[in-house]
Amino acid sequence: MAKDVRARVGVGVVAVGATALIGAVLLWWGGYDPQVAAGAMFRGSFGSWNTFASITLVRSVPLILTGLAVSLAFRAGVWNIGAEGQLYAGAIAAVWVGLRGATLPALILVPAVLMAATLGGAAWAMVPALMRLRLGIGEVITTILMNFVGIYLAAYMVHGPLQESRGVFPQTDRLVEAARLPILVPSTRLHLGFALALLLAAGLAVLLRRSTFGFQLRAVGASPEAARVAGRIRTGRVVLASFLVSGGIAGIAGGVEISGLTYALYEGLSPGWGYTAIAVALLGALDPIGVVVAGVFFGALQAGAGAMQREAGVPAAWVGVVEASVILTVLALARLRAVGRRGGS
Amino acid sequence: MSEVLARLDGIERRFGSVVALDGADLILRAGEVHGLLGANGAGKTTLLNVIGGMLRPDAGTIEVGGSVVSFQTPREAWTCGIALAHQHFALVPAQSVLENLALGLARGWADPVRDVRAKALKLMDRIGLRVPLDSRVDHLGVGDKQRLEILKALLKNPRVLVLDEPTAVLAPNEISGLFALLRELAAEGRAVVLVAHKLDEVLMVADRLTVLRAGRTVLSTVPGDYEIPDLVRAMVGADPVDAIAIGVDVEPRSTKREPGESVAHLDRVSVTGGPGVDLEEVSLHVYRGQVVGVAGVEGNGQRSLALLLAGRVSATRGSVTLPEGLGFIPQDRSTEGLIAAFDLTDNVALALHRVAAYQDGPWLRWSELTRHAETIHERFEVQATSTSVLAGSLSGGNQQRVVVGRELSIATDLLIAENPTRGLDVAAAAFVHDEIRRLVATGVGVVLVSTDLDEVLALSDRVFAMTRGRLLEVDEGQRSREGVGALMLGGAFAHA
Amino acid sequence: MNRPSRFLSILASVVAVGCSGGDSEVDVALRAALLTSGPVSDAGWYAGAYDGLKLIESFLGAQVSHQQTRTPAEFDEAFLAYAADGYDLIFAHGFEYQDAAIRAGELFPNTTIIVSGGGRVAANVVPLIFRLEEGSYLAGMAAAGLSRTGIVGMVGGVAIPPAQGTFRAFEAGARAIDPEVRVLETFTGDWNDVAAAKEATVAQINRGADVIIHNVDAASFGVFQAVRESVAAGRTTWALGMNSDQNDVAPDVIVGSAVIRIPEAFVAVALAWQEGDVGGEAIYAGSNQQVVDFVINPALAHVVPLDLLERIDLSRTQIRSGELVVPRVAFVEGEVGVR
Repeated sequence: MAKDVRARVGVGVVAVGATALIGAVLLWWGGYDPQVAAGAMFRGSFGSWNTFASITLVRSVPLILTGLAVSLAFRAGVWNIGAEGQLYAGAIAAVWVGLRGATLPALILVPAVLMAATLGGAAWAMVPALMRLRLGIGEVITTILMNFVGIYLAAYMVHGPLQESRGVFPQTDRLVEAARLPILVPSTRLHLGFALALLLAAGLAVLLRRSTFGFQLRAVGASPEAARVAGRIRTGRVVLASFLVSGGIAGIAGGVEISGLTYALYEGLSPGWGYTAIAVALLGALDPIGVVVAGVFFGALQAGAGAMQREAGVPAAWVGVVEASVILTVLALARLRAVGRRGGS
Repeated sequence: MSEVLARLDGIERRFGSVVALDGADLILRAGEVHGLLGANGAGKTTLLNVIGGMLRPDAGTIEVGGSVVSFQTPREAWTCGIALAHQHFALVPAQSVLENLALGLARGWADPVRDVRAKALKLMDRIGLRVPLDSRVDHLGVGDKQRLEILKALLKNPRVLVLDEPTAVLAPNEISGLFALLRELAAEGRAVVLVAHKLDEVLMVADRLTVLRAGRTVLSTVPGDYEIPDLVRAMVGADPVDAIAIGVDVEPRSTKREPGESVAHLDRVSVTGGPGVDLEEVSLHVYRGQVVGVAGVEGNGQRSLALLLAGRVSATRGSVTLPEGLGFIPQDRSTEGLIAAFDLTDNVALALHRVAAYQDGPWLRWSELTRHAETIHERFEVQATSTSVLAGSLSGGNQQRVVVGRELSIATDLLIAENPTRGLDVAAAAFVHDEIRRLVATGVGVVLVSTDLDEVLALSDRVFAMTRGRLLEVDEGQRSREGVGALMLGGAFAHA
Repeated sequence: MNRPSRFLSILASVVAVGCSGGDSEVDVALRAALLTSGPVSDAGWYAGAYDGLKLIESFLGAQVSHQQTRTPAEFDEAFLAYAADGYDLIFAHGFEYQDAAIRAGELFPNTTIIVSGGGRVAANVVPLIFRLEEGSYLAGMAAAGLSRTGIVGMVGGVAIPPAQGTFRAFEAGARAIDPEVRVLETFTGDWNDVAAAKEATVAQINRGADVIIHNVDAASFGVFQAVRESVAAGRTTWALGMNSDQNDVAPDVIVGSAVIRIPEAFVAVALAWQEGDVGGEAIYAGSNQQVVDFVINPALAHVVPLDLLERIDLSRTQIRSGELVVPRVAFVEGEVGVR
């Protein structure tokens, strides 16, 4: 056991070292001071409690939520690449309910907004789910296509039916106070959505490990054939349910972003969280708790990337290159570690 | 003594921490059919893969024609005149039979397919194994795939022909045809290596035998000089318990068990559009305390029948009455019976999680499930350190013990067993047969669907043959290998 | 109420000094940051802002920083990071920043946020409105004067009021020259999608347009490329630049650009801020302040008829004197539009 822990720590150190080295070489190659950039990166993500809570953790919320959505689907053998579209669908539903129910008290309105987001995301996932189950069309393509529909639907909404009442800018009216998620930690931007993401992760972990549905989901994902024959599981139902739950969680990510942070719907609400979510889910080994850790890691990475622009003057494109190579390195090392563990047993 | 074509000496091969071969020796001479025997996990398949160039040994030497060789690829083994027919078929599913045969024979830019067709037709005529050349491989049954695999090896015109479990899915007359061919090939001065899971088959054709146990050569005989009990002891390291499994002294059951009440009933049931061949107007009563045996050449509807009786597919027409306590041992334990990536407890839960006793609202009673898995682990002597070992890391025999243990524990009324001993070694097969006998004695009805005629004859109270989706009861008088075989094949040929 | 005039005088001095930059007598008393939601390599809207930031650095000896941000959540974060770090002045270069600017402004009363094209005003959140319509009107005159087919085109990004305003003014300018002119209008929905802009331009050219103006950001390369290809195919086709002086971007096809002199405007705002003159109301900058203009490409000046040049000059003078009022869309709280 002690040996195992030491081996893991060793792998972790190697991973961090390799990642830092690759990042440094890239920065040096681009003509920037790696030391200054690294300092900015650290200060921008972990520099102070306020930075950590207000930037890193706030950024991790949509990443954790979409990461959970993707990991749950992948566990069920459902290749949901559509978290991005489901997030937008959730955001649209959330802002609609939030604006319509402006006179309701917060205790009713906030849950209603989140429920709407869940249903919006689930409805978005229903389309590819039914196309797979009824027509046999693979969900990889359909979920990707539904992303575009979701993104453009949001654009249409803020230019048309949901545009602010002044009719000037492409955005919705701002949500009333009662529709907004409360701040979790005073004097930071950290909102209740973070607690929600943690709760959801814990809930999913228990669901997967202890519940009948979670077991069936894992069985269908691991071997639909054995699940059907040996488990007498109706795989179609499990696939549908997994799709809907996954879409619902991605929808919550959109709702939480609106209700906790931006208070209005804009075009370009998401920088592609639904896609980054795939990396988050894989890095988190498709395990809810792992996804939380991976989500915070990605949040810190993005927060640090912003600081690298501000403080070290590294342009956004170059920061993107460094960020992507860090992600690739970490994923490759995580994979190597998993392979190594299997070979050793 | 005749010329040595190939000599393997002190071969060792590890997979991670698992030692598959630990000093295996094998000498192959011109003109012999060499039987390679051993329990499951003894290293037979690994040794064959070393001969065939699929695997490189960690230690030991391979000599072909007197010089030491080291194969990097199967192609290098072919050029040395060695061809291997696999047990787990190495075929391209989306290509035709002909294209699969042509694979690897291609030289330069010439179109190999036309040339191969003529050769294949000639070969099929000569040896009596027929495969539809233009069918896609993924549309073939298991039997056809095995025939194709053998043809593929023979087309290379090898000096050393290696066959891994070729008989498991062949009909009796095909087996005797294949054996005649093997003798003929040996007479031409080739060496043939044969692995078969049934001892009597190997003895029927082989003149020399090598027995592997735990990756080591434990016995090597000269022609005609061996005693069956010695062989079996060498294989399993203990006295055998079951005659069916090693294929000696098989007698059809002569005394019928008394039937109890009907526990499952099919009334003029048809299944269309299911997996494999459709069922047509099948009627059957299964009684408590009796074994119903269903024999047939692969691809005549047994699959649909087994799935129907197990409640896994529903009838298109007719009525089906099934009991509550139903266990099902599916034919493919590794893809249908178990989930390789799940541990033993999860795999036990796979069948039990729908039983109310293991549920608590939306939750599963994991402590109960774990206890149940531990019971199976102990009682069925599964060779695993604990119930948290992944099923995929177990040997085939141990996997089957888990499946059998699990399904017996829920089969309080009816058990459907589909080829329950296919690919199992002597001890494991004997164990399965004993468990089925014990279960029947407790008043459970059993349906045994098997391509192993001996198994069907030895265990069953009533015997049926399946041909082209129909179920025919075999009269008492016809209960022999030859009798049932003729019935099965009659159907098969009419089908073809 | 003397603020606009103070601002004007400061601006005049900046424009007089131009980009000579250099010897600042002012101490390093200013820290200024810039937020853009697109790349500063667009040779247009964002590039102008970045040049402005650099000019503030060299001209005022300020410490400067820039961050490209993509999402509303990132806007908040960047404001927060800069404000917490003690930046005095944050230029948020686009209307999309306005809500986040208001939120950050409440949290950090000592930081002043300038939102280019914004609509919301607070004590320390100030919209900077460029009267680009005035340059766009002149561009419209040039377009109608150059067109042989009597059809001119406009390719836009997102259909927001400021962009629509420039197009209304362009149309009005074109009609002033040729009352019968047909004006085509396409919004691609994306400021930076080069392919979409090119496609829209090709479509307009195929419908007969032979002078195309755009109001996009990095996507303008697509517009110029489409015009170039049309020229290569043997059609006489011209392009007009927008936002910054793009005459050098494609000197073979761009006859002129409706420009905002963003750098000069930024420096003027920074100077006015140092004087304590920025806050509580929007800053307007147009041709009267020489921030907005229409600039003919010298390399193609020979294709513009003299009488057309004269009419454009006359209109410019009339706009500056207030004699000619160009249509514009109001989008700042309390502002009044002109049709």
